[in-house]
Amino acid sequence: MANNVPLLDNEEPLDFGEEDLPKGRLKHPVVTTFHLLFRTAALVVYEFCGIFSSSFIGPFIFIVVLLSLDFWTVKNITGRLMVGLRWWNYIDDEGQSHWVFEAKKGGLQGRVTKMEVRIFWVALVAFPVLWSIILLIAVVFSRFQWAIIVVIALTLTGSNLYGYVRCKLGKSDSISQSFKNMAAGLVQRQMVSNVTSMFTRAPPTATPSSTV
Amino acid sequence: MRDLRAVGTKFYHVLYPKEKKALLKEWDLWGPLILCTFIAMMVQGTQEVDKQDGGPEFAQVFVIVWLGAAVVTMNTKLLGGTISFFQSVCVLGYCLLPSCLSLILCRLILIAHQNRILFLLRFIVTCIGFAWATFAAMVFLGDSQPSSRKSLAVYPIFLFYFIISWLIISHSNV
Repeated sequence: MANNVPLLDNEEPLDFGEEDLPKGRLKHPVVTTFHLLFRTAALVVYEFCGIFSSSFIGPFIFIVVLLSLDFWTVKNITGRLMVGLRWWNYIDDEGQSHWVFEAKKGGLQGRVTKMEVRIFWVALVAFPVLWSIILLIAVVFSRFQWAIIVVIALTLTGSNLYGYVRCKLGKSDSISQSFKNMAAGLVQRQMVSNVTSMFTRAPPTATPSSTV
Repeated sequence: MRDLRAVGTKFYHVLYPKEKKALLKEWDLWGPLILCTFIAMMVQGTQEVDKQDGGPEFAQVFVIVWLGAAVVTMNTKLLGGTISFFQSVCVLGYCLLPSCLSLILCRLILIAHQNRILFLLRFIVTCIGFAWATFAAMVFLGDSQPSSRKSLAVYPIFLFYFIISWLIISHSNV
């Protein structure tokens, strides 16, 4: 789907004095709720539908609908608003397919709150992990019909996870390259902090070190 | 919304396969999901008292449609097609629409008390849906194949819709 919605550009500028949100408050509470709502609902319905009815088809359709709604919401709305990332695919005029992964550069300060970022990533990572555990359980107990639902859930949540991870790591790098970059960055930071601690330890003054 | 309108446009283009751009350029998988769910719901087996209701046929349709589309796409790509994976799955899924329509007609025919003529009618309706689906899929996917390989690429598509049509014709309440 061609995505021509500008990334976070059309939001109204913050009013004077609103720049510092109290820590823990959410800038987009409705969006955050929906980010969590569909995923949790799908999981809950899967686990507890056996108590209410012995049918398979009704819950199947209900869960698949919830999963599709979740996929669409996370891909198109919550990623863009909560963490400033988006990803899509388009076919150019020669018929070549391109995958685009974008991250909002700079100017994120007033638009994104730490709490939302944390909620976003935790929910994004936790659910594929949960679904894979459930898949193992379903296969071990030979509930193969239900395993189909779990496979669908894994595909949908997993692809969102994969898309956003690639956005985060930078679109031109492959995943292994990005891990190497991350490791190099960590090593660099460690070295810098070692050097600065050497310098700040020597003079026995009481000046507090400033943090950026 | 934008997505709903896109799905509707694609349905229209499958029924009158003249213009190829709409399905190919902006693919999406909502249409195939809707069609697959609809076919699976209609084709489910009869309810038995002590077993789960119609489960096997329902899940079978899902597996056949998605795995079948994936396998046909892999075949097309391995033969040297220039189309992307999701585009091909999108086309195959949307071209289920004629089969879906023939399923609805068969269901209506099944309301009446069955005899040989009505079975023949159902058979013809299913055949028309099958031929239409295969033709539409070939219109959309044909260009991506070099011409010497076209018939090699048609055969799996033919088989795919044949199996779906078989499921449709074999669904009856007698």
